[in-house]
Amino acid sequence: MSRYLTPSKIGLLALISLYSDSVVPSAATIPILSFLVSHVLPISSVASQDKSSLQSRHVTLAVEDFQKATISHVSGIPGRTIWDLLLNKLWKLNSFDALHDFFDTLSLLLQKPPEQQQQDAEDVIESNPNHIRLSRASPMGSFVRRAQLEFTRLQFHDGVTLWRNFVAYRAPTLPQWKKRNQSANHNSFDANLQDEHLDLGDRLTDVVYGELAHGVQHDASVSAEDLETLLEYQIDQMQRMGNRLPQAMKAKFRAMLDTGVTVPNLSHYVTFLDAWRSGDYPSSFDNLHRYFDYTMQNRDRTFYQYALLNLAILHADFGCHSEALTAMQETISTARENNDMGCLNYSLSWLYHFGKAHPEEMDDVQKRGVLGTEKETLAFLKAKAKEASMWGLLSTSLLSEAKLGLSNGDSVAQAFESIVRSSHLNVTKDVANAIGSQMSMQSSIFGRLGVSCQAWLSGELFLQCYTDQSPVEDVVHCVCRSALLLAQRGRYEDALARMEEVDEETLRTLRHSQYWTSNLGLIKLRRHLHRDNLVAAEAVLAQLQAPPSLGQDLHFSILTLEIDLNVRRGDYSKAMEILENLASKLTDGEADIFQRIKVMTLKARIYDKAGIPQKGFSVALRAASLAHGARLFPALWEAVGAVCGVLISLKEFSAAAKLLESIMPHTLECEDCNLSAQTFSLLADAHMGMAGQAKAETLPRKEQLTRALDNIGRSFDEFSRLEDVKGQCEMMAKKATIMHLNGDPVLANDCAAKYLDIKRAAKDQI
Amino acid sequence: MNIRKLRMFFLAAELSNSLPEPLSTSTSFNSDPDSQMSDVDLPPSLPISLSSNPNLEEARLEAQELPKYLLAKSYFDCREYDRCAAVFIPSILPRGPLTPTSPNAKTRTPTKAAKGKAKESSPNTKTDSIPLSNALPRLSQKSLFLSMYAKYMSGEKRKNEDSESILGPADGGGTVNKELVGLARSLEGWFADRAAKGLERGNQGWLEYLYGIVLAKGKTEEDAKTWLIRSVHLCPFNWGAWLELNELLNRFEELQSIVRELPQNLMTLVFHLYASQELYQSTETTHNQLNDLERIFPESQFLKTQRALLFYHSKDFDEAESIFSALLHADPHRIDALDHYSNILYVMSARPKLAFLAQVANATDKFRPETCCVVGNYYSLKSEHEKAVMYFRRALTLDRDFLQAWTLMGHEYVEMKNTHAAIESYRRAVDVNRKDYRAWYGLGQTYEVLEMHLYALFYYQRAASLRPYDPKMWHAVASCYDKVDRPIQSIKAYKRALVAGTYYDQGSSFGSGATNGEPPQGVLDPEMLYQIALVHEKLEQQDEAASYMEMTLAQEEGPGEDDDDEIRRPGTGVTNITSKARMWLARWEFARGGLARAMELANELCQDGVEVEEAKALIRDLRARMESPRSPSR
Repeated sequence: MSRYLTPSKIGLLALISLYSDSVVPSAATIPILSFLVSHVLPISSVASQDKSSLQSRHVTLAVEDFQKATISHVSGIPGRTIWDLLLNKLWKLNSFDALHDFFDTLSLLLQKPPEQQQQDAEDVIESNPNHIRLSRASPMGSFVRRAQLEFTRLQFHDGVTLWRNFVAYRAPTLPQWKKRNQSANHNSFDANLQDEHLDLGDRLTDVVYGELAHGVQHDASVSAEDLETLLEYQIDQMQRMGNRLPQAMKAKFRAMLDTGVTVPNLSHYVTFLDAWRSGDYPSSFDNLHRYFDYTMQNRDRTFYQYALLNLAILHADFGCHSEALTAMQETISTARENNDMGCLNYSLSWLYHFGKAHPEEMDDVQKRGVLGTEKETLAFLKAKAKEASMWGLLSTSLLSEAKLGLSNGDSVAQAFESIVRSSHLNVTKDVANAIGSQMSMQSSIFGRLGVSCQAWLSGELFLQCYTDQSPVEDVVHCVCRSALLLAQRGRYEDALARMEEVDEETLRTLRHSQYWTSNLGLIKLRRHLHRDNLVAAEAVLAQLQAPPSLGQDLHFSILTLEIDLNVRRGDYSKAMEILENLASKLTDGEADIFQRIKVMTLKARIYDKAGIPQKGFSVALRAASLAHGARLFPALWEAVGAVCGVLISLKEFSAAAKLLESIMPHTLECEDCNLSAQTFSLLADAHMGMAGQAKAETLPRKEQLTRALDNIGRSFDEFSRLEDVKGQCEMMAKKATIMHLNGDPVLANDCAAKYLDIKRAAKDQI
Repeated sequence: MNIRKLRMFFLAAELSNSLPEPLSTSTSFNSDPDSQMSDVDLPPSLPISLSSNPNLEEARLEAQELPKYLLAKSYFDCREYDRCAAVFIPSILPRGPLTPTSPNAKTRTPTKAAKGKAKESSPNTKTDSIPLSNALPRLSQKSLFLSMYAKYMSGEKRKNEDSESILGPADGGGTVNKELVGLARSLEGWFADRAAKGLERGNQGWLEYLYGIVLAKGKTEEDAKTWLIRSVHLCPFNWGAWLELNELLNRFEELQSIVRELPQNLMTLVFHLYASQELYQSTETTHNQLNDLERIFPESQFLKTQRALLFYHSKDFDEAESIFSALLHADPHRIDALDHYSNILYVMSARPKLAFLAQVANATDKFRPETCCVVGNYYSLKSEHEKAVMYFRRALTLDRDFLQAWTLMGHEYVEMKNTHAAIESYRRAVDVNRKDYRAWYGLGQTYEVLEMHLYALFYYQRAASLRPYDPKMWHAVASCYDKVDRPIQSIKAYKRALVAGTYYDQGSSFGSGATNGEPPQGVLDPEMLYQIALVHEKLEQQDEAASYMEMTLAQEEGPGEDDDDEIRRPGTGVTNITSKARMWLARWEFARGGLARAMELANELCQDGVEVEEAKALIRDLRARMESPRSPSR
């Protein structure tokens, strides 16, 4: 494999020389130039953020690409297209020596250095005015210069290899060349063969062009430089998007690498990333060390801190938290030593996030004072990011700030402000990969405010517009989130379908697949719980609890569902026990206020179920006031519901009904079927109680009964949407009782029959 | 073959050797010469039929030694020379450089050191009066040759290793093969022993060959020749011996003198042809010899190569090129002598073809000195001298005795103006082969660049003696004579060059490059004539000078002026030199008063457009002169 030169580069050089011969008419200048420039520029400068341009760019150019780009343009010579001229130029390289000459004459394309220009001026050497000379520093000029230099560096046999590859590369255009040039035949690729009248089968030809004559073709049209570009692109993709190498791509890479003797160091890094994503702990370690062993001292810069950074993240990913912490601390100190602000800021931010995810590991760090309190840290990070103009970091810091504010129950407006600022940054500074987290933050804040449709909308917006350029992780999170929302509305099938939308390639990454499976499990668990399929629920729960390192949110959801399971079983003490555990954990750390409220409400509900609702009164009330303070509306309505339950048990029916009726619209806005079903059922209970308080056979009683029936019906609808068997049955039972009270035994019987049907259907489903 | 695979063989051989030895073999290695008869009756441990040697005694020995021989041969194939030698000759032979004097002479008046060493190695040497005794164990000649040759090779290897990098500090050409002394001594002893026992008839020629090499390395050339001739008598098909013999011949006369001593067989003919070619004898007789041989071997590529080289030496490049080209087509994988082919292409400036040749050679083996030379020549033709030097160095790393590369590298260094390196390279080339006139010539050129003309003269003379019919050599000699103020010799040399020029008719020597337009056929070189004229002028022989100047002018028209044939060859036309001559003549005529002729010449000069300014000035002067004598008459 050559270092830099490939047959396609020779083609580009030929086209450049055509261009400088002024045979390209002005109409074709711009397309030809843009074709040239798009292939001549180093890949990093072609807006590396812009993925579409990368995809449209081939690393290697086939001859056909040249044809496509040039055949439609007429040249300055009548009757000839530029493609014809290019063919002529290419086929004029009819021996290895001609190739040498071609490269020797390349310097004529360039402007002469100033000293020589001066000399020429003195000697009155006129330059051809028709000849375009490239400036030495222009992109094309530097490309030409580099090509020439690389050719000079080639050893003889490398040159021969390049020549042979070029012959093979050019071979497909022979028929077209024959059309223009009658004398051309199958051995006109080398003038020496023609002079000697050698045929392709000749022994001498066999020695020199043996592989060519026999049609053996190995894909050597890639130079080491091209390969490095490819690898860099690959790493960039893997790092930014967080996915793995597709299998087909991997095979292709292997084939490419096998043709060369030297393996680029970067390929170790690719293997490392791939192994890491696939969850292959030992081999990812092996490859990480291999890569950094080869590149520790490169271009007079130390990469020790990056090695450590990678190591730390790797450790953290595989759950070795303490090791990760020590590695990260060393990273920070090394980065400080080497004045590598980028690395330092990144690692500090990582450490902060790590601390958020694993507060229990952070004691040591807190004591050492690497990071101050959270707020201080964020302020520091923000300042640093601004200083070093690391906009991505600044944007994520702002989001973290918003998140911190929310979980502390601070002002919602402030959180919004942060989000908007981050969004502004993302747009103005083109921080494409932070958009995902910003959108999901927005979605969650709307969710907390109880504006479900907005929350849903943000998610959809993100999935529609930004999937291509965001890290896969964000996409997976967003998909799971929206699936959960769907499940909340009882649209299980849709939710499951949504989950299936996730690309299979994505799930080859261990972390993503874990996250995805857990969410899928959550949805299924919910469904099983609602269907009263407790055995299946337990099985799913056991599976969910198996993987060790899940996010705190997921963990919380699983626990609440476990509690729910126990409640449904009627095992209240067990449920209480789990709840207490959870609550104690939450009070320790600086837990999310939403979770704390949720736990409180849950407690009140368990008391309610256990038949001692008054015991939960203070808890419910506290939850309600907390939720109100933090503007956590869904939690507030739930808490209010719990309070009303207590009120109902205290026979304060009218107050309960008033309260419930006032929250009803908001509750419906939340689009949480469970919540609405519960609330409707409570409202029905309140009306029922009020009916009980009214005199029998009077109008108010009737009215209250109808209202109760009405609410029971709505609650039933909500429950049936959720496929909640228990809820449906309960409602049916209540309905039957009311019918019975109304003295309508037929209807009551109907309801009773329906009740039995539901029960049977649920049994059958199991 | 892969060395590792070869090792498997010697493992097998070693295993077969490690079998318990039969009793009889233990006696056969007894170095006591008296016991040799005693084991004749003992049954040999291995059947004699294993050896194909017709000599019964040798065959018996060979059969006995077979396992050991196989082991040694395997070691040799793996290039573990010392180990190979130690299989048969366990004791260490004395080392040290071989002095140019004969080992014979040395043993007669041994130095103290040599004596000590001799005693170490040959315990049988009791007194100085009986210097020659066989210190070697009694072995078959085959085994003996193998082990001795291995010793020689190990010495060569060590020598190469000591020299380190090409033209590096340790690579002075002064390192020698340290095994030579021991080998010479042992062989001498062995031969004396054989002679004493009257067994000389049983000699096979191989040890003679080795002895010849050793002697030749020790610069004892006459003795070496005798031994090599003896060797080729005994074993005519050992081409190595012929090659060694060829290297010892410095002049054609020497070849002729030894011809009578050579055996009368086919190999001698081949050798005679080869030696003639190497001595640049591209004469009719040589061609006839070649024709005779080709009748026997019509398809021989070797002979064809020789033919091509003969044409090359006589500067018939087209002919040589076509032969080489045909050879290449017949066997594309043959790299031998491709370096010569590349030289031919170089001189013909056939760059695409040279590149193609390099491609062919590279496809077969890129680590052959010949291949590297071809590539080097290509780069040299492209004026990429650094790269060319790199490839020549590579060739030399592969084979230090690759003469071509030394010379060519010298040329490159001259181009790069690195005279010291050039001189050293040429010197090494000359050391390897004293018959390489290009190296001698190059040395001369380099010293000329350094303005050491007397020194350069010596080298030019050597070159001229090797190529007596090359005008270039004589021209160089002549100009050197001129520079060191010996005009008479200079004129002689110039005349010689003129004669040689007509003899060869055409072409140029290698390295001059065909760039400076050589005169067409049958024309005397105006340059030489002009130079002769100048020398005569120096000697103040104006008339002589003038006549040579006239001759120079005459070359413009070409020869055969007198005959009115239609096949009048074209002359050189007006060149720089002839214009200079014309100018000189015009001035000369002006000085001696032939004004009309001077005027005519000056006008011609103006017409030709060369040195117009001077010519015009001269015309002005002429007019003035022409007018001034007229005015008084008026």
